[in-house]
Amino acid sequence: MRGIVPLIITLVTCTTGTHAHADDELSFNRDIRPILSDTCFFCHGPDAEHRKADLRLDIEEIAKQDAIEPGNASVSELIARITSNDPDELMPPPESGKHLNQKEIDLLKRWVDNGAIYEPHWSYVAPKPKPAPKTNSAWARDPLDDHILAKLPKTLSQPSPDSARHTLLRRVTFDLTGLPPTQEQIKAFVGDSSPLAYQKAVDRLLASPAYGERMATYWLDLVRYADTVGYHGDQDHNISPYRDYVIDSFNDDLPLDEFTREQLAGDLLIDPTPAQQIATGYNRLLQTTHEGGLQPKEYLAIYAADRIRNVSAVWMGATVGCAQCHDHKYDPYSTKDFYSMVAFFADIDEQQHFKVGTNSLPTKRPPEISVGSRWQRELSVELESKLKTLLAKLEEVDASQAKVINRQISAYQKELKQLKASNRLTMVTQSVTPREIRVLPRGNWLDETGPIVDPAIPEFLGKLNTNGNRATRLDLANWIVDVENGIGGLTARVFVNRFWYLLFGRGISPSLGDFGGQGQPPNHPEMLDQLALDFIADNWSIKRMMRRLVLSRSYQQTSDTTDTQLRQDPYNQWFGRQARYRLPAEMVRDNVLSLSDLLVRTVGGSSVKPSQPAGYYRHLNFPKRVYAPHLDQRQYQRGVYVHWQRQFLHPMLKALDAPSREECTAQRARSNTPLEALVMLNDPAMIDAAVAFAAALLKCEPEENSDAKIKRAFELTVSRQPDSFELTSLSKLLDSEIQHYRAQPEDAGKLLDTIDKNVAIESVDPQQLAAWTTLTRALLNLQETVTRY
Amino acid sequence: MGSAALASMLATDSQAANKVNAGARPDVPHHLAKAKRVIFLCMAGGPSHLETFDYKPELDRLNGKPMPASYTEGQPIAQLQGKELKCQGHLTKFAKHGQSGQLISDYLPFHHKMADDICVIRSMVTEQINHDPAHTFMNTGTAISGRPSMGSWVTYGLGSESENLPGFVVLTSVGGRNPQPIASRQWSAGFLPSRYQGVEFSGSGQPVNYVDAPEGVQGRQQQRLIETIGQLNQHRLNSTGDPEIETRLANYEMAFRMQTSVPDLADVSDEPQHILDMYGARPGDGSYASNCLLARRLAERGVRFIQLYHRGWDHHGGLEKYMDICCGLTDRATWALLTDLKQRDMLKDTLIIWGGEFGRTPMFQGKGGAGRDHHIKGFSMWMAGGGIKPGQSYGATDDLGYHAVDDVVHVRDMHATMLHQLGINHHNFTHKFQGLDMKLTGVEPARVIESIIA
Repeated sequence: MRGIVPLIITLVTCTTGTHAHADDELSFNRDIRPILSDTCFFCHGPDAEHRKADLRLDIEEIAKQDAIEPGNASVSELIARITSNDPDELMPPPESGKHLNQKEIDLLKRWVDNGAIYEPHWSYVAPKPKPAPKTNSAWARDPLDDHILAKLPKTLSQPSPDSARHTLLRRVTFDLTGLPPTQEQIKAFVGDSSPLAYQKAVDRLLASPAYGERMATYWLDLVRYADTVGYHGDQDHNISPYRDYVIDSFNDDLPLDEFTREQLAGDLLIDPTPAQQIATGYNRLLQTTHEGGLQPKEYLAIYAADRIRNVSAVWMGATVGCAQCHDHKYDPYSTKDFYSMVAFFADIDEQQHFKVGTNSLPTKRPPEISVGSRWQRELSVELESKLKTLLAKLEEVDASQAKVINRQISAYQKELKQLKASNRLTMVTQSVTPREIRVLPRGNWLDETGPIVDPAIPEFLGKLNTNGNRATRLDLANWIVDVENGIGGLTARVFVNRFWYLLFGRGISPSLGDFGGQGQPPNHPEMLDQLALDFIADNWSIKRMMRRLVLSRSYQQTSDTTDTQLRQDPYNQWFGRQARYRLPAEMVRDNVLSLSDLLVRTVGGSSVKPSQPAGYYRHLNFPKRVYAPHLDQRQYQRGVYVHWQRQFLHPMLKALDAPSREECTAQRARSNTPLEALVMLNDPAMIDAAVAFAAALLKCEPEENSDAKIKRAFELTVSRQPDSFELTSLSKLLDSEIQHYRAQPEDAGKLLDTIDKNVAIESVDPQQLAAWTTLTRALLNLQETVTRY
Repeated sequence: MGSAALASMLATDSQAANKVNAGARPDVPHHLAKAKRVIFLCMAGGPSHLETFDYKPELDRLNGKPMPASYTEGQPIAQLQGKELKCQGHLTKFAKHGQSGQLISDYLPFHHKMADDICVIRSMVTEQINHDPAHTFMNTGTAISGRPSMGSWVTYGLGSESENLPGFVVLTSVGGRNPQPIASRQWSAGFLPSRYQGVEFSGSGQPVNYVDAPEGVQGRQQQRLIETIGQLNQHRLNSTGDPEIETRLANYEMAFRMQTSVPDLADVSDEPQHILDMYGARPGDGSYASNCLLARRLAERGVRFIQLYHRGWDHHGGLEKYMDICCGLTDRATWALLTDLKQRDMLKDTLIIWGGEFGRTPMFQGKGGAGRDHHIKGFSMWMAGGGIKPGQSYGATDDLGYHAVDDVVHVRDMHATMLHQLGINHHNFTHKFQGLDMKLTGVEPARVIESIIA
């Protein structure tokens, strides 16, 4: 990839996202398939029903028989048609709205002239090991750095310098835990010149329970975890133990293959543990309706499609859901494949709620089990075993000793009872006799003429060997992570790509949820393959993969962007710098709560309800909803625990792009809107935090002068010292606020009267506090505060 | 804005400020637009076409008799699944109104007065029989969650004409039979940029979430705060060149302007009494009538897509009683809105669309007095203004009002026609998502209803 002409690369990036250039070898997957897929496969691809002229361009033999003369563009029908002046002949037809530009036409010509070499689609080919290119660079710390370095376009020949120490620590702390570093951590890290300082910091972060919370936030987007059913009355359902299971699993570094098996088929494992049963809540996360007048068959079809969209997006990076009504237009998934996948899930009893589901809160969606948090479960086991020992002992002792033991027994029993009292219900999967699954012609659930199908993986990916038994969800899960006989290599690639995205702001392939023909292929396919293979070889350890990525030199680059970089690589697809972007919603919230020292670090539990505008649920019904916010400390738990109402997500989270979790979200939008500004400026919870932050500033070091306090506050907020401009601006703001509240002390009273009673403000002068609150509000609203650099 | 600093900030970022409300599509409009904006009056719950616009003498004749199976066999049915299906004749009278002689029921006396202004489509069909997915279908063209609503599509294409208000605003009111819920999904931007999502205005209380500055913080303090944030962000912009900061500056400006413009909009004290009377609006009551008045004010201020929901039309039973209530709450104000726009010469470029997420069965349902179940195979909507032929009827259902049979109008056709009036060719109005060229009108055929266009 050396010797790239800069002009071309910019142009191509903006138009098709492919990266071929005159003096470079063509790659079918990188340069040609995206063009064919986007402009031709709709009519000349896998979908048999809509195929035109019986021509397929996605299959080499047919294409070369009918439309392509390898080595000779000038006599190839394909080229004649795409260059025709006759609108009746021209392909793609003008009325299709598709259009080939000159560059694309030239690429296709060159490709045909060079022999029209096809390659199988990159993502369906198992990853192949390929040693990193030798760069002999002292810069590289990991082979992945060599990959990055070797592919940097000439105009960007140098990677970016390392980040400033405080920025690096801030970045890695947010990336691995979703929280900001403390001032002490920054000081210690900046002052520690030992070569192991960074590694030590990384290991500390990975060992923190906050790591699991941060990773869970992403996972819950993928699997569309929410606290409510989604459709119609959007009633609550019981599922929060599943969320805690996800957090525990990341913290325990449960290997991804096991994590996969437990969620898809934990109930089918031998003697499943409570955690493995809770994990099967995954199969229950889809949206359900409890509306009177629902047609059961219609909703079974809707649920089936929902499941396949999610399973295929989460694990396969595929859009199999497109094959619900017709064969997939771009990828080789047939309608039969779709319904055969549906059949894997035919043993999930999602029909019970049609009969027993009510408009109660929570609604009933059996099967459910009652469980405690993990520590409660562990404690229960311990107590039960102690009880057993004591009961055995009772047999052997005399009356006086028995009295003592009996007292102990009843104490343990009481403790156990108390533990169980805080159990939560959670939806799980319990296999029942599979219902009959038919292909629904054109997706029409009223049409029962389609053939009955058994569970099967998509035909083009092979066949499951189940010794003649009906294939199960466990077979599917095993196949997904089986490197030898399944698509394990592909799955590993899908996830490594997402871990990369979490740490670099963009995937190696930017299409995090679609590795099919319409997704954008990776710019660094060899690196992606190697990382996938390493991930598998390292026993699917997510934590170690995250560790490796953040220890790379590439990760540690600065996100400061030069004009050249902005021009040559506006989307940072060559990773010659780090990325800067607004923090995800939960991190914005947790950061603010952390700065104001309100954050409650309890891990797990039922969902929490922070305050929200009055009447926000007024459009909900069946039943009507009155939102009862948690008035105690629970409201200050992390964002990952906030009650997720699919139809009316908490407006703060929503304004900052948290998804409704109706569908799989592999990549959140990163918007920047006036509604976000209104939240950051005026949300009462933001004001509570600003007051708490200001109160803490005033209470701590009372002798400190205002400038020193402003400096401290600034550094707390963004992990660096303010410059003189910043200090002066803030200082002026503070002065005018102090004057205002001196002149109008009643305003200070009004402000502080509204503050949550958990915020400790008693010992602080109200006028000072009100004025400093404006200052902390300014800090919390800075671009730098909400940005990950 | 008095302050020099703020003024200079505004000047330097006027370009970015424009971006906040601009459409994302330089290629639209594709052709000359007849309509500049849309007011969509959603009668949520599904009003009965058989008690509003669709008169079927045959249905009256068969009143109380079994519904012929030839109509219902193999058809989707909601709450009447497994029940005996009987014909329910009209529960009101119909008469011809206006010079055009459009048939309108007695429930809608104010609609009689605008018979010559509206184009009634009597052959609507949709694909979803339950409320929530049916609304989703009406708004997004599919029942799959996560797709953009039509208001978002339109704003995405055309932007807003207002510098101070969002381009897509939603207002809701309640009254009638136990109101069906409405999900915020109905005004979601889906996979389009979030700035094109509908913003809900509340007719009572705080008009927009978080639009009010905190208690004890006065306007000029809030202004000083935003100025300081702006200065510091600008300073950061100068040193880092991060273009995201420019957008943030513009958004804080917009947020600041909304803190004034939204209360201004909601404060109708500048409306003369005769206008309030015309709508039947009592300021701040959150009623449909007040929302209609706000809709006009939003339209005047350049908001692109204004959607009103009135929740109460789900008349499984007690249809007569609830029609009285729902029509009583909406009929007059709908007329007032149309008439008011007309007298301000704004009807010509404002497209008004009236209708529910579906219609109701010709069959009887009796949940507390005679009523009707959900029905998707034939129902009525109307369009007016924005270059639509006035005083016209289009399409028809069969003799029992069950199936749309003549000039069938699918929801997609309605979308295509609406976009057409806005200068947008629905075929070419696409957005890449998951590798697909997504459209409001989807992949199934959709047509512009040429014969209702003036």
